[in-house]
Amino acid sequence: MLGHLTRETRFLIKDRGALFWLLLAFVLSIVAVTFGIAEVSEQRETIATLIKEDAADRANALEGQEDWGSAAYYAFHLTYAPPSDFAFAAMGQRDSSPWKHRVRMLALEGQIHEADTRNADFGLVGRFDFAFLAASVAPLLLILLLYDLRASERTMRRHDLLVATAGSSRSLWLPRALVRVTALVLLLLIPLWVGAMIEGTAASLALQASGIVVASLLVWWLIVELIGRLDASPSILLTSLIGLWLALAIVVPAVSKAAIEAANPVPDGGEILLLQRETVNDAWDLPAEATMEPFVERHPEYADHSEIGEEGFEWKWYYAFQQVGDQVVEPLATQYREARLARDAQAGLASWLSPTSLVERAFEKLAGTDARSMIAYENQVRAYHGELRAFYYPLMFPEEPFDADALSDLPAYDPQES
Amino acid sequence: MASPLEARSLSLVREGNAVLDGVSFTVAKGEIFALLGGNGAGKSSTLLTFLGFLEPSGGEVLVNGRSVGSDVAAARNAIAYLPEAASLYAHMTAYENLDYFLDLAGKSATKDEIDVALDRVALPNEARSRRLQSYSKGMRQKSAIALALLRETPILLLDEPTSGLDPVAIDEFHDLVKTLAEGGQTVLMVTHDVYGACQVADRVGLLRHGKLVGSFAAENGQRIDTETVHAAFAGREAT
Repeated sequence: MLGHLTRETRFLIKDRGALFWLLLAFVLSIVAVTFGIAEVSEQRETIATLIKEDAADRANALEGQEDWGSAAYYAFHLTYAPPSDFAFAAMGQRDSSPWKHRVRMLALEGQIHEADTRNADFGLVGRFDFAFLAASVAPLLLILLLYDLRASERTMRRHDLLVATAGSSRSLWLPRALVRVTALVLLLLIPLWVGAMIEGTAASLALQASGIVVASLLVWWLIVELIGRLDASPSILLTSLIGLWLALAIVVPAVSKAAIEAANPVPDGGEILLLQRETVNDAWDLPAEATMEPFVERHPEYADHSEIGEEGFEWKWYYAFQQVGDQVVEPLATQYREARLARDAQAGLASWLSPTSLVERAFEKLAGTDARSMIAYENQVRAYHGELRAFYYPLMFPEEPFDADALSDLPAYDPQES
Repeated sequence: MASPLEARSLSLVREGNAVLDGVSFTVAKGEIFALLGGNGAGKSSTLLTFLGFLEPSGGEVLVNGRSVGSDVAAARNAIAYLPEAASLYAHMTAYENLDYFLDLAGKSATKDEIDVALDRVALPNEARSRRLQSYSKGMRQKSAIALALLRETPILLLDEPTSGLDPVAIDEFHDLVKTLAEGGQTVLMVTHDVYGACQVADRVGLLRHGKLVGSFAAENGQRIDTETVHAAFAGREAT
């Protein structure tokens, strides 16, 4: 077999057409990895800058405050999901879901859902990252490298001479295809491995990613092999394979997405934001009891501190109706989360119908940029916001005397905590 | 001792049409047997059954006494096949093509050995390091013939081997085939060239509509009579 592979490697080196596609694969892989590393670096720089500015900004906001309510009102708190050391290969949902927030002690759900997504358009067109290259472009390159292995030889009336000379088909077509597939895999993966070394990706992760690329291309090789055996002209084979690629890479995912979305209606994030704002704004005009009763139901420990005077402004009433705003949208926000998770689970099942979707999802999972990771980050924000409330409420509701030094114990956001 | 090539009541049906119908012949060691016939007579199909590309619907074909169906690889290993208008790789030189195809056949040859083969087919020296895309049809055919020579197989199957060659090249080719046969190689060629077949072959079989309808042999050191064969080919005289 080694001799066959050596012979076909020498043959490949003389085939300019095949070399062009292989070189293109290498260049595209370098571009995808470079873009990915640049994007991840930019996100890390953004986070580093925000961390620095956030601390200074908060210290500035807290300085000179004279009560707990004002301190809580004016201070912002940075939360963020740092990109993993493999995110450079698959930006995934980081392009369409927010990965950083500056939250305040106000109603939270609106703050989560009003966050800008930097690259919302990428949610539609997809980013050119390594995952996209491996999932969608690499199969096309493989098709172009393999589709006419037999057909072009038949067209050139060389097929029978080749097979008769080789003695058997296996000693000819298998090594010829294997050399091309191996070259494609290596030229795709070498930039990924270099990128992984630069980013400090765990070797096991890089190996898993490599395995995904190899498995995906083996599946496509099998598809090309089966169709390539048809006694048809190269142009018909190419048309058939490109049609199949379009079906598996575009049509099946699009139809699946539409069906899953229809089956799992998700409330718009804007609905949550609007309902919460209406609830919070309406609270100004309602009797204080209308706010404090549902608040005390959630926090019975403050029942003895829920009296609101007839006149004047009280911070604890203000924060209570912020919390009630969250309570009112809680069912909608839960429905939103659960529907997204349900959609994700069903998309996972549907991806078995599309090798490209399966590969992209696998890469996003490895990179921690899948829908579940982004929802997990949102839950981290909720948990952290809960810590802020747990810090302020025991001081604010019993109306403890203000102590600026106590603010040094404000909970700090830790992205590693789940 | 088994004949290098033998067809026994060979029949072949493709897409409902009888391509070959009970064809039987043997080709002895060192013999040149030409199957002569018009378009669609079943000549090339006969060659392809010996190479295992077509499976007989009836009867069998044997190479060195073994049924091709039972061991295709052994049959192909014993045969050098020269298809009609053989097309080697245009983006490679003659040296590179021969090196590649010999490797494919599990053989190797030095550059000197390749040069000897190319000398025998009279491919000009200056052309040997050029890509075949600049070759004439005759030069490409010579390169393919050189491959058949270099493989040194006991059997040669030639499909319209002189198609596209100029008269001088045809004569040279015929001389070469005769030399190979004298050296013990068995040659089965199919052609519609009556004159060429009679010039080179020890025996000529006439194939018409898939049936072997006539056979002519050289006798007493004389070549086969072209007129007789031509008349039979044209259906003017019973054979």
